[in-house]
Amino acid sequence: MELHEWALVIFTTVMQMAVGAFVLVGGIHLFAARRYTVETADKLSDRALIAIGPVVVLALLATFFHLGNPLNAPRAISNFGASWLSREIVLALVFTIGGAVFAFMQWRKIATPVVRNTIALVVAAVGLVLVYGMAAVYLIPIVPAWNTIVTPISFYITTFLLGALAIGAAYVVAYWRMRGNEKAEKETQFEIVAVTLRWIALLSIALLGLQFVLLPVYLASLTANTSPAAAESVRILFDQNGVLFVLRLLFIFLGAGVFSVFVYRTAATSGATIRILGSLVLGAFALVFVAEVIGRYLFYVSMVRVGI
Amino acid sequence: MATLGFYFNSNRCTGCKACQVACKDKWDLKPGVTWRRVVEYSGGNWVANTDGTYTQNVFAYYVSVACNHCENPLCLQVCPANAITKRDDGIVVINQDLCIGCRYCEWNCPYGAPQFDEEQGVMTKCNMCYDAVDAGESPSCVAACPQRALYFGDLDELRAEHGDLAGVAPLPEPDITQPALVITPHRNSAPVGSNAGMLANPEEI
Ligand code: SF4
Ligand code: SF4
Ligand code: SF4
Repeated sequence: MELHEWALVIFTTVMQMAVGAFVLVGGIHLFAARRYTVETADKLSDRALIAIGPVVVLALLATFFHLGNPLNAPRAISNFGASWLSREIVLALVFTIGGAVFAFMQWRKIATPVVRNTIALVVAAVGLVLVYGMAAVYLIPIVPAWNTIVTPISFYITTFLLGALAIGAAYVVAYWRMRGNEKAEKETQFEIVAVTLRWIALLSIALLGLQFVLLPVYLASLTANTSPAAAESVRILFDQNGVLFVLRLLFIFLGAGVFSVFVYRTAATSGATIRILGSLVLGAFALVFVAEVIGRYLFYVSMVRVGI
Repeated sequence: MATLGFYFNSNRCTGCKACQVACKDKWDLKPGVTWRRVVEYSGGNWVANTDGTYTQNVFAYYVSVACNHCENPLCLQVCPANAITKRDDGIVVINQDLCIGCRYCEWNCPYGAPQFDEEQGVMTKCNMCYDAVDAGESPSCVAACPQRALYFGDLDELRAEHGDLAGVAPLPEPDITQPALVITPHRNSAPVGSNAGMLANPEEI
């Protein structure tokens, strides 16, 4: 695999993570604002939100490495009417710019919360469509390894799994770095972090389960496909990259499964410290991130075309 | 206007690759870029007869393929930069000045026709020698074939004369892109999708 394909691995994984994180921050924020006050809820979510920005910009920049002729890059949106690749790029740009505008407004508290929430809702919706758009790019009729409903489903799993754990990690880091050590305030914030982490852990475990249902179904259908291209994809996944395949499963199981169970249980105990909780969440995020990058790498290398 | 297409007679082809070389020469193609390729497909084995003896059924044949200037050109539909167009005579061309080098057309063509020019960072492929065609001459590959196995012309006429077979193994199912291609199959040819043989020269394709 060459540099330009690594660019795609990074772009798709990170972009999906950002969409998931954006959507989930919105959900958590709404929940926290209802239960506590808007100001209390803003404290952590604003910081988490701002962490998403630079990551997305880096992901977008990565795509330039994929182009042979970056000077013509603006032309990439010319075929919006027929090409999912054009649509993906437009959606990614709208999501990024919309997200940046929202983050700025939220940071500076421009306009009323209702206006801001409406913008956030639109950006989140664009993000969710973007994930489908990313998958549609790979629904190529002549690539049996890609042309299946599993592609969009697994892109959405990445979105929410990685997004959730990224938010968990961002909340923990934001809490760590919070200044103004007013005790009552800190306790409230800790409560928000702990409740959030419990939900994130549950979501991760559920998505892990879904992955483990999806994978055998996918492999069975690919193996049953009679085209030589499908057989070659299976060979690449198992014979050529068997070790990576197993590592990926192991990492995702550890991160989204084992670590998440610990996060859930630790967050529920009264004596939980942010140190332990934080380490667990960061560990889970790191493991799942590596697993998803390996998974996406395998996705790209498994590409074999029908024909010659 | 008549739609142009290629005609290939697999019985006549000896796999000499004069077409491939003529194309490379005319368009000065860089190493690794080969618009017209001659695919060798072979298979067969020893088979046991009822009397305990064995006979072999080994076969091999060639198929010369370039871009098929398809009637349903997926390359064109998916190109995000609208850099690929189909002329009135059916010839599908890439405009390198518009190409962004994303290689998405390459992923979508089952004939491996779009090939990337690493140096320029843009996509290239067979353009049916439209310069020659516009001047009333033959494409270089067609003119170069010593066996007269390769022709081009009005697709309807080619079909009327030679039938409408547009694929044999290892070419893909013609339904996918509806290639402007007519093939007279080799007497030992295997149908599209067959696992009877295999591509014998993958490194050349
Ligand atoms: S053979 Fe491939 S490149 Fe040529 S027109 Fe058909 S789909 Fe496009
Ligand atoms: S490589 Fe060029 S011609 Fe091919 S899809 Fe991309 S922009 Fe279009
Ligand atoms: S028609 Fe011209 S460009 Fe196309 S394969 Fe033949 S020689 Fe090459």
